Amino acid sequence: MHPLIHLALSLPSWQDEQPFLVTGLALGGVYALSGVGMIVLFRTTGVLNLSFGAVGAFGALIAWQLINHSGMNQWLAYLVCVLFGGVITLAYGMVFGPALARRDPLVKTTATLGLTLILLGAMDLLWTSNGGASRSISLPTDNHGFMVGQIQVTTTDVIALAVGIVITVVTTAFLRYSKLGTAMRAMANDREITATLGVPVRRVEAAAWFGCGIVAGLSGILLADLVALDATTLTFLVISSLAAALIARLSSIWITFVAAIIIGVVDAAVTPITALTNYRDMTPFVLAAIALLFLNRKRTLSLARQEF
Amino acid sequence: MATAQLPGEAKPKTPPSAPPRIERGFYTRAAIIAVGVLLVIFLLPQVLSLYYVDAMTQVAIYAVVALGLGVLVGRVGLISLGQAAVLAIGAWVAARLLFGTSLPYEVVLLASGVITMLLGTLVGLPALRMRGLYLALITLMLAGAITVVLASLNFPNGGHGFSGYNGALLHIPPIRRPGIAQTDPAYFRYSVVVAVIMFLIVLIHVRTKPGRAWAAIRQSEPAALAAGINTTFYKLWAFALASFVTGVAGGVLAGAVRYLYSIDFQTQDSITLLAVVLMGGAYSIWGAIVAGLLLQLLPAILNDLGVNPDWLVILFGIGVLQVLTTAPTGIVDQMPKDIARLARFIGGLGRRSSPAKEPAQ
Amino acid sequence: MPRMRIGLALLAAAALLALAGCGSSNNSSSSAAGGATSSASSSAAAGGTSTSGGGASAATDVSSCGPKPGVKATGSPINIGTIDTHQPGTDFTDGPNMINAYFQCVNDNGGVNGHPLKLFVELDQTQPAQVAAAAKKLIQSDHVVAIDGVFDLLECTIDQGYWKQLGIYEMDAGIAPECWSTPNSAAVNMGPRYSSDGAVQYALNTVKAKKIVFVQSNVPGTGYIAAGPAALAKAANVPIKQLTENVPINDANSVALNLVNSAGPDGSVILNFTPPEALVILQAAQKLGLEDRVKSWGCSTPCNTDFLAKTLGPKWNHKLFVNAELASPDDHNGPEMQNYKAILAKYGSSVAGGLGSFSQMGYLLAKFLTKALQNVHGAYTMKSVNQAIVGIKDYKTELLCQPWTYGNVALHIPNNADYTTTPENGKMVTAQGCTQISAADPQIAQYRAAAKAAGINIG
Repeated sequence: MHPLIHLALSLPSWQDEQPFLVTGLALGGVYALSGVGMIVLFRTTGVLNLSFGAVGAFGALIAWQLINHSGMNQWLAYLVCVLFGGVITLAYGMVFGPALARRDPLVKTTATLGLTLILLGAMDLLWTSNGGASRSISLPTDNHGFMVGQIQVTTTDVIALAVGIVITVVTTAFLRYSKLGTAMRAMANDREITATLGVPVRRVEAAAWFGCGIVAGLSGILLADLVALDATTLTFLVISSLAAALIARLSSIWITFVAAIIIGVVDAAVTPITALTNYRDMTPFVLAAIALLFLNRKRTLSLARQEF
Repeated sequence: MATAQLPGEAKPKTPPSAPPRIERGFYTRAAIIAVGVLLVIFLLPQVLSLYYVDAMTQVAIYAVVALGLGVLVGRVGLISLGQAAVLAIGAWVAARLLFGTSLPYEVVLLASGVITMLLGTLVGLPALRMRGLYLALITLMLAGAITVVLASLNFPNGGHGFSGYNGALLHIPPIRRPGIAQTDPAYFRYSVVVAVIMFLIVLIHVRTKPGRAWAAIRQSEPAALAAGINTTFYKLWAFALASFVTGVAGGVLAGAVRYLYSIDFQTQDSITLLAVVLMGGAYSIWGAIVAGLLLQLLPAILNDLGVNPDWLVILFGIGVLQVLTTAPTGIVDQMPKDIARLARFIGGLGRRSSPAKEPAQ
Repeated sequence: MPRMRIGLALLAAAALLALAGCGSSNNSSSSAAGGATSSASSSAAAGGTSTSGGGASAATDVSSCGPKPGVKATGSPINIGTIDTHQPGTDFTDGPNMINAYFQCVNDNGGVNGHPLKLFVELDQTQPAQVAAAAKKLIQSDHVVAIDGVFDLLECTIDQGYWKQLGIYEMDAGIAPECWSTPNSAAVNMGPRYSSDGAVQYALNTVKAKKIVFVQSNVPGTGYIAAGPAALAKAANVPIKQLTENVPINDANSVALNLVNSAGPDGSVILNFTPPEALVILQAAQKLGLEDRVKSWGCSTPCNTDFLAKTLGPKWNHKLFVNAELASPDDHNGPEMQNYKAILAKYGSSVAGGLGSFSQMGYLLAKFLTKALQNVHGAYTMKSVNQAIVGIKDYKTELLCQPWTYGNVALHIPNNADYTTTPENGKMVTAQGCTQISAADPQIAQYRAAAKAAGINIG
């Protein structure tokens, strides 16, 4: 039998495929959350913060530690996590933002890889996986939900999607219509000139970094609940979300959101197709490659006036 | 914008088409280096325990990989976040040929270099239309895709078919080694010789026309274009060269470890590779050797001392930050200042002067 | 610049916050009474009660590990080596830590003929070059005479040639296929293939599943592992679907859905994953409301922890059936089990997981070696020690279903009978007592034939 026909015949029926579209939406929500979070920082500071996932993971592990070993109330612990995200991202931004301000976006992004490595090493030191220990965070919203077809959608899934949408809407509006937002957009483009225009560059920068850190912390909790509370998983999850950001050419927050949803749905939809299922983790990369290499083949993609 | 001068390089005063000028003292330097290499090849295995001989073999291999990445980062200004995947491809090709054919080892090395080079160029071609950050991110995406493919394809282990992988094996055969290099010390010498050849190939490139074209492109791509340099061709050449040496390194790796696992080529490895190349110094040949030492000898020493390997990851992270903010040329130039600087790093940053004195890119 | 200093202060504050919050993160996990979510093993609370309750007898139990109670061994040390995986996400150091604990006990009570035992541990990050180098280091620099206590993803594959060359018979808690298929390795555990066999067997014979879906993590060796369940299903004339999942799993929902759909209401889903991944899949199934849509769920040995039972909750009571390679410390409390718990309590402060399979396997590996060493007459050389190891025959233990033998055979699968456990209100309880793994698995059949020919008691 011709292999393609064989492949077609082994495709699951629509009935079987449908529930995967629902889980795909949930997965898309996960990717959208970190994708949007990274783009927001990029649009406001010109830095693609690749340590987004690591910061969130660190915060989630701190929250876990506080809940399970210090008996802290869980909402307080989650608050600590979110604050931690804000603080550490702010600290990084205040120290390394000005130091690298005049460098190419590529250099600024590579520097965030440095922070990623530091956090990864620290997380494994502090929370080892000795003895097969596995940790998990379970938000109370996991226990509520509603049925869609044959499967249950939890409130947490809905929250993740909602948070993604809210961040997208709020940030887009903020950047376009508010004075601070406009200042941020200008700064992301060219810090020096913006400073000469009388914009309080340091304060604007601080606000942007802190805000984005808060988003990282919040995403950390949600992703720890939806995916897994594991340092490596959460840190490198951002690479898949990055695909969505690349499809949006690192500029449009809305396109990032939509692209992330599509990636999630396609990824999940491929799961029941036996021939392809082991390759479905490639979905983000394949889609990003297609978007960048084919859709933009007539255009040169460049961000900087000068090279690294 | 002026870019950092390549250390030890004389500024070419002649137009790109003239033959290379031999600097004074070149032969002396070459002789000293040759003696050093001979010492390494013959003396080191006698002096070191097998544990460290194995570690030094890995140093030789990863120095070559760092060399390839250094060509991209230092000479042309392209950051690749996927060199571990390229190394994996080289190792894969070598393993397939070593199991599936009885070609001599040197031919296999050449083949893995060439095939990896072809793949690298194929990928480089469309990617060259991207610059800077986009290019780095697309290499990250490609590396991610290759990691997934590898997880399902696996490395050849003596099985049949295209993939050469038999998942049900009860006894996995080791990858063969060249006839003249069966033992670990002999294989160490073999890998050093191959590494030296790779270094020479890159050195020749750097000192002749491609090297000057790359230097011109690094300084200013529009200006290079205006000077009539075919920038796309030379950038592609850099990709090809980097992929070739990395592919050969993959072949040497296959014989060194003798068992290849997909779990050994993860995304984090590409990132750590970039970190050590930046720390060692992407702009000089010696930087590649330092990078190799950081990546393979330092962990072996720390493991020996019982230090948790996580500290090394943290160190590399700090190293990246330090290099990018204060020392773009890396450890090789910074070594004397680095030791004191590292201790004062945190406070030192706070006391640094105003933007006007920031080092030029 | 003042603002940079503020930034640095914030950085320091964040670091302090992180460290303060983490305080005694690792050490506390084994002692936290209510911290069930932090410990992988049987709940530390239960373990704490039984050891503190047996306080007086514990002291006597403990000293029985050595021949001369209370006398410290002061002779020349006998060097033992081991290689273990320690990397982010996979940390097996509990095994060698327990062996060390046992050795300390032995050394405090007379040693082996007055000689203390010294353990040299090499850790690796799953890099073949490291594992090979570690072996050389142990032999050439540390001068070990035996290899005991290897908990490693790759070691059996990489070093078996070297051990064969030297005449070393290693004792391990294996993972790679060669741990059970060469003359120079014998394991106290069953490993992924035979443990999965056990879980599939229970589904076939007791649950009477009409279809098996076997899913495992996509790490090297899946074909070797899958061959076992495939053979068992074929012998029972039941269709089997083989799946692999890349780890770490990002979309547990889709995975769980796919498993349930593939198995159907008359089928069983059998998992072979590390605890974190198995947990994530099972939790996803529960969140989606799918846990009742198959006939049963099964899991290989890594799932056999009270921690998992507690985190999963009551919905999984008698729905998940886990193959257990070793007797459960909760259900069994004979003198040897008490001895194990006592040694763990007294000397095992570095064993982060507390009571559980890792420390149990470490206990067995240390105990068997110590007992074998008693049979060495004269100098403790590589040859004499390894002859004693190969000569281990019929060592009875409460922790295993059958007596353990090394023996001069082409392959070793000495642990080939098991329990099945199931969660019940936060604990793992025995669902089925000792059952032999079916000889439908060709490797099992081969071992039993070879063992019989060599005169080994295969229970």
